[in-house]
Amino acid sequence: MTQITKRNANKFLKDEFDELVRNHLEWNIRILESGSKPHSIVNGKEVIMLCSNNYLNLSNHPRLIKGAIDAANKYGAGSGSVRGIAGTLKIHTEVEKRLAKFKRTESALIYQTGFAVNSGLIPQLVGEGDVVISDELNHGSIIDGVRLTKADRAIFKHRDMSDLERVLKDADKKYRRILIISDGVFSMDGDIAPMDKIVKLANEFGAMTYVDDAHGEGVIGEDGRGIGAHFHIEGKIDVEMGTFSKAFGVVGGLIAGSQDLVNFAYNKSRTWLLSGSHPPAVSGAQLAAIDVLETEPEHVKRLWDNTNYFKKELKSFGFNTGESETPITPVIVGDAGKAKELSNKLYDEGVFALPIVFPMVARDKARIRTMMNAGLTKKDLDFALDKFEKLGKQLSII
Amino acid sequence: MSVKIGFLVNPIAGMGGRVGLKGTDDVLDEAVKLGAHPIARQKAEEMLQQFCTFPVNHADILWVTCDGDMGNNELETVGITNKQIIYAPSESTTSADDTKNACKKILETSPDLLLFCGGDGTARDIFTVLDKKIPLLGIPSGVKMHSGVFGITTTATAKMLLEFTNKRLTVGDAEIMDLDEALYRKGEWKVRLYGIAKGIIEPTYIQVGKSLFESVSDDEVKDELADHVKDELEKYTDWMFLFCTGGTIDHIAKKLNIEHTLLGIDAVYQKKLLAKDVNEEKILQLLKKYPKVKILLSPIGAQGFILGRGNLQLSPEVINKIGLENIIVVSTPSKLIHTPILRVDTGDKRLDHRFATQGYLMVVIGYRLSRVVRLQTNNF
Repeated sequence: MTQITKRNANKFLKDEFDELVRNHLEWNIRILESGSKPHSIVNGKEVIMLCSNNYLNLSNHPRLIKGAIDAANKYGAGSGSVRGIAGTLKIHTEVEKRLAKFKRTESALIYQTGFAVNSGLIPQLVGEGDVVISDELNHGSIIDGVRLTKADRAIFKHRDMSDLERVLKDADKKYRRILIISDGVFSMDGDIAPMDKIVKLANEFGAMTYVDDAHGEGVIGEDGRGIGAHFHIEGKIDVEMGTFSKAFGVVGGLIAGSQDLVNFAYNKSRTWLLSGSHPPAVSGAQLAAIDVLETEPEHVKRLWDNTNYFKKELKSFGFNTGESETPITPVIVGDAGKAKELSNKLYDEGVFALPIVFPMVARDKARIRTMMNAGLTKKDLDFALDKFEKLGKQLSII
Repeated sequence: MSVKIGFLVNPIAGMGGRVGLKGTDDVLDEAVKLGAHPIARQKAEEMLQQFCTFPVNHADILWVTCDGDMGNNELETVGITNKQIIYAPSESTTSADDTKNACKKILETSPDLLLFCGGDGTARDIFTVLDKKIPLLGIPSGVKMHSGVFGITTTATAKMLLEFTNKRLTVGDAEIMDLDEALYRKGEWKVRLYGIAKGIIEPTYIQVGKSLFESVSDDEVKDELADHVKDELEKYTDWMFLFCTGGTIDHIAKKLNIEHTLLGIDAVYQKKLLAKDVNEEKILQLLKKYPKVKILLSPIGAQGFILGRGNLQLSPEVINKIGLENIIVVSTPSKLIHTPILRVDTGDKRLDHRFATQGYLMVVIGYRLSRVVRLQTNNF
């Protein structure tokens, strides 16, 4: 009998991980012992947190914590099923009703995560013979969603409406459906997509609009209602996609739009249909987050006061903070090595902010990305600013 | 990590330009008589000076070069001392033979890159020796610089060299193009594609994780383009496709198991080669039998020409008959980084005007992925 040499089924796991380590590309997971707080304990060291998405510090808000506990007490720890079969609890539908009201849209739907929205819904909205037109700097989860479709893809230059119009003109002749997708707030630079203009162009060409407002939800627009409110075009963007994981301080993805959109989405999105629904505690906290945003405007105000102060001071030191219009403030230092060094030194001095380098941003635009938090005091900001100034001078950045 | 750079200057490159000659190939005496002065040394020194302003550890870079103005003098001027001279030209006025002989000597030392200063003629001479053995980078100094191996300016070349020494750039195809000078002096302007060398290019990155990117090789990107073209061939089954010149189209054809002429145009029908290396006359003949045609082409050379430099078989008459809407332009994204504007120069003003009115072209840059690129019709 011939001896068959079996392949080593698991060898690649170690090989590929080792390769990542060799190239310094592996994730070094940092452990937060404190929860995500303005002052967090990261890998055993107390630091001022400038890289969480917990913009409004709602994850620590007593009403959200209580909302989670009360919902767990009332409905239990888990939901028991996927939404489509027996996992839709009353509290899920309550969140959706409240969310639609908050977003000033006809309807809304909660997904398990933001990624589940993009990878589940986009492939249903377009197919063969259609085209997705996408900003060149869109976030990875959008790109993955688009890769799952049989539709053609076309890119337009970042926030460039003339370029979008050129692509639309070409697409108009060739395709059945046209879907324009853009991030609302771009997470590397903190700039905002001109959704008012995108919607106007889309209407001219009969195209559908889809915005990923993950970094705008809870941050921009009246009381943090997001990009629709920011441009006063609530209900006019066909799909407003967002997340409960960032400023809302909980977890979960969402869409807001027409009832037709919601009916279509939950019947067709495989990610929604095939994942277990949120545990009641998550929904309880989501509900409380909407309550807080509707009744306590001070959180959004403080976030912006902090942002404006921090930006102004950084600029006065001579730092380049790019084109940011939001609480994401890049501190552009240029060289990748310098950005990494600055980040390490900041951590040593008690400030936690991560470097972003090529190819996530251009080679000469390496940076520290800071994300503001409403829970930080002026004293905290002055402490962080003092470190930025000192290290910026030490490293000859300013 | 240490890098070995072969460095070669063609001291007479570019001398014809200011005195109205389209090159110095074969006409150096005439150029000198007309008062031409050498400019290559100055260009090379400009570039080297730029390079020396970057934070580079010069001890890690070994320069392998030639004596006199063919490299050593330029390195001396900017104070680069870690060098090795491996060739001395025979006479004070150097010739194409000097370039070729120096190249052979440099090649024997197995450098990582050959940096040269000259024009298309110099690039061609070097290519005859080097072929695809090592990558080439050109400091623009000639009269003609259509080849894809040149930096756009001396500063751009210095930056590319820096990125190469830092191992941030990768190796990809670069076209060697040149004016047919004998034809030119008879009054005909024809830029031909002479071959595909190795150049240095910006890699294409794909996002594979939240902040994890992988660079993909140029060949992988071209495989994706081939998948796209395969879909098009299957969609337009009763159309003839003209596979034009250049490395990108050649790669696509090979991936689809279609025989292809690297430096020529082939006619393809239902995924099979219909006619090989066709000229204008043959294309016009084929058009009678196959009236529905798609032209598949890719920008070639440093200046992003899709029509008018190389692909000369696509005469205005051919393009008019096929129709602008039936031109499919494919390109690797790395190529568009260096040539963000595409150019046409068909030789027919009315046709050029139609392209100019269009202003932009959709370019396929990946599988079912395209973007708009600006189109210019100014002549170079």
